Amino acid sequence: MSTAVYVNMGQSGREVSRFLSLLWALVVRDVTSRYRRSSLGMWWAFLQPLILMLLFNMLRGFVNIPSDGIPYVLFSYAALVPWTFFANSLSACGPSIITNAEVIKKIALPREVFPLAAVCTALFDFAMSGIVLAVLMAWFAVHVGLALLWLPVLICIMTTAAFAIGLLLASLGTFRRDFTFATPFLTQAWLFVTPVIYPMSSVPEKWRALYMLNPMVGIIEGFRSVLLRNASPPLEPLVASAVMTMILLALCWPLFRRLSAYFADVL
Amino acid sequence: MSGDVTIRIEGLWKRYGFPIPEALRKGISRLKRKNPEEDGLWALKDLTLEIRRGETVGIVGRNGAGKSTLLKVLAGVTAPTKGRVEILGRIFPMIELNAGLNMELTGRENVRLLGAIMGLTRSEVERALPAIEDFTDLGQWFDKPVRMYSSGMLARLGFGVAVNVESDVTLIDETFSVGDLKFQNKSLARVKEMRESGATVLLVSHSLETLQFVAKRGILLEQGQLLADGTALEAINAYETLVFRSEQQRLEHRVRSRITSEEVNIFGARLYDRAGNTLTEVPAGAPFGIEVDLRLNRKLERPMFSLGILNAAGILCKWNISEEDGLVEKGDCGRYLMRAWYPENRLANGAYEVHFAVRNATSFETMERIAGVVSFAVVGKLRARGIVAGKCAWELIPVDEDEIASGLAKGDARVSGTR
Repeated sequence: MSTAVYVNMGQSGREVSRFLSLLWALVVRDVTSRYRRSSLGMWWAFLQPLILMLLFNMLRGFVNIPSDGIPYVLFSYAALVPWTFFANSLSACGPSIITNAEVIKKIALPREVFPLAAVCTALFDFAMSGIVLAVLMAWFAVHVGLALLWLPVLICIMTTAAFAIGLLLASLGTFRRDFTFATPFLTQAWLFVTPVIYPMSSVPEKWRALYMLNPMVGIIEGFRSVLLRNASPPLEPLVASAVMTMILLALCWPLFRRLSAYFADVL
Repeated sequence: MSGDVTIRIEGLWKRYGFPIPEALRKGISRLKRKNPEEDGLWALKDLTLEIRRGETVGIVGRNGAGKSTLLKVLAGVTAPTKGRVEILGRIFPMIELNAGLNMELTGRENVRLLGAIMGLTRSEVERALPAIEDFTDLGQWFDKPVRMYSSGMLARLGFGVAVNVESDVTLIDETFSVGDLKFQNKSLARVKEMRESGATVLLVSHSLETLQFVAKRGILLEQGQLLADGTALEAINAYETLVFRSEQQRLEHRVRSRITSEEVNIFGARLYDRAGNTLTEVPAGAPFGIEVDLRLNRKLERPMFSLGILNAAGILCKWNISEEDGLVEKGDCGRYLMRAWYPENRLANGAYEVHFAVRNATSFETMERIAGVVSFAVVGKLRARGIVAGKCAWELIPVDEDEIASGLAKGDARVSGTR
């Protein structure tokens, strides 16, 4: 490839603070503008996971799904909260570059900020549905304890995993819209290979190792044990999750960096 | 002088799209049966340029000449395909300032958003907010959703944030064409302020007047290449000549395809000077003539010719009718050279187009009418513009204010400024 060099020596060392300010502004924009013209407003952040939970409960009425002796409402909702975050992140990351095309075409910014803002916006919804979960847990008088200290670790891995895959979808989706259209099907399929509506214990032993390559497995199972059993997350799936997340990030971020230099050309 | 170079561009090439290795690209074009050497896709071709600290550079060129691409590459929005671009200092692109506005948010919320996009930190935005509110002059609208704004109000919002961003190099693209006059003047004043404070400014504008007043240096781009580099006036003159030449080529083509009229044929038209030599450019103030080569295929008792001269904005600057100016020849069938001499050339600098018509004065029927039978440029060294050229006599008369006041008190009806 021919040589092309762009050097800007005007960096003033405030890049981190600028990046965080921009991230904050984008998240505030997304959160405040999204519900501004809807009558239910912020309540949608609560309603979304609530409706999903009710749907799965109806499904349970027809099919017998084991729930490891936990009330199914709790069992499914504790998993749905992180899962909804993950699915929302992916669907928001894919078009995040295209929806911000006007900005990207005009001003040089670290482009990672757009998928990251999409993930952080989903994180806000995650916090909202977390409140619903807390209420639900209080209702069922679930006993919680020190295991809650694992939550930051789980949230950290979960956010990183969503960001890594979001970067991949954003960089591919910018060049070919097909990836954005395919995302809902991808997340649907992913839901079935993740222990959201069923426990991991119902996965046959011989498939477990393969099953745990899905980074969401360790996270969801982790959330369940920490919140509902007051126990540390099962270590094996959690380590597998963390390793897979790191591998994904190490692959997707450089790819995004490389492609992002040409985003402005194809938008 | 090389010590204070702010922007250094060496052999910059830019083609849009993801860069594919040369060999692969040729292979693909061969598969698609296209000429692999085709270089029509280059937006910038081998551009070399140095801009020093504190320079105000106006970039002129026709649509698609590569002006905006150059600014985008400088801003780092798009990567160069080949070559080297070096920028020493913080660069800020004031390109379409409303990028990123959210219609659902209020003016104030959008200022926070735009500020972050333009590279201000949160505390910087909060500190600048009162100044921005003041600058945008939006009053109570500042806290209303921007979807209710007019385009002028939107422009003010973006510009208000932009002027609060500090940078060493500012790139401006067509920001002046928006807003009302009061706001445009505010913006211009701001650019001058930046210039005086030693900031480097690069601006693209289709308003040649603006460029002339703001920029000191000018560069002309054409098909991605640097065609002229000099003072702003030199670049603008080169640009007008370029526009005029291409316009003329287009017209020549049009005129040739126009010789279909049965009653009048027009073979060509030209401008000439006192010695009868063909002119493509008329020096400002110099007399000139317009000659039309035509054939009348029908005998006309009283042929009536008219010539109109229109400027680049399409404004009719001069229109003459042969009959009124005293041409009373009869028109037998045959070939003629119709000549009109303009002894007093009061046309201002710029590009012009000539409209020509032949009518039958007895029946007033139009035999032939051609818009743009020929075009030309008036070129001069002076910066004065407008429709009519010519110097005016200026005076600056000192006036004693006390005298006026006492004169007014006495009911003196003298009008100040006249003598």
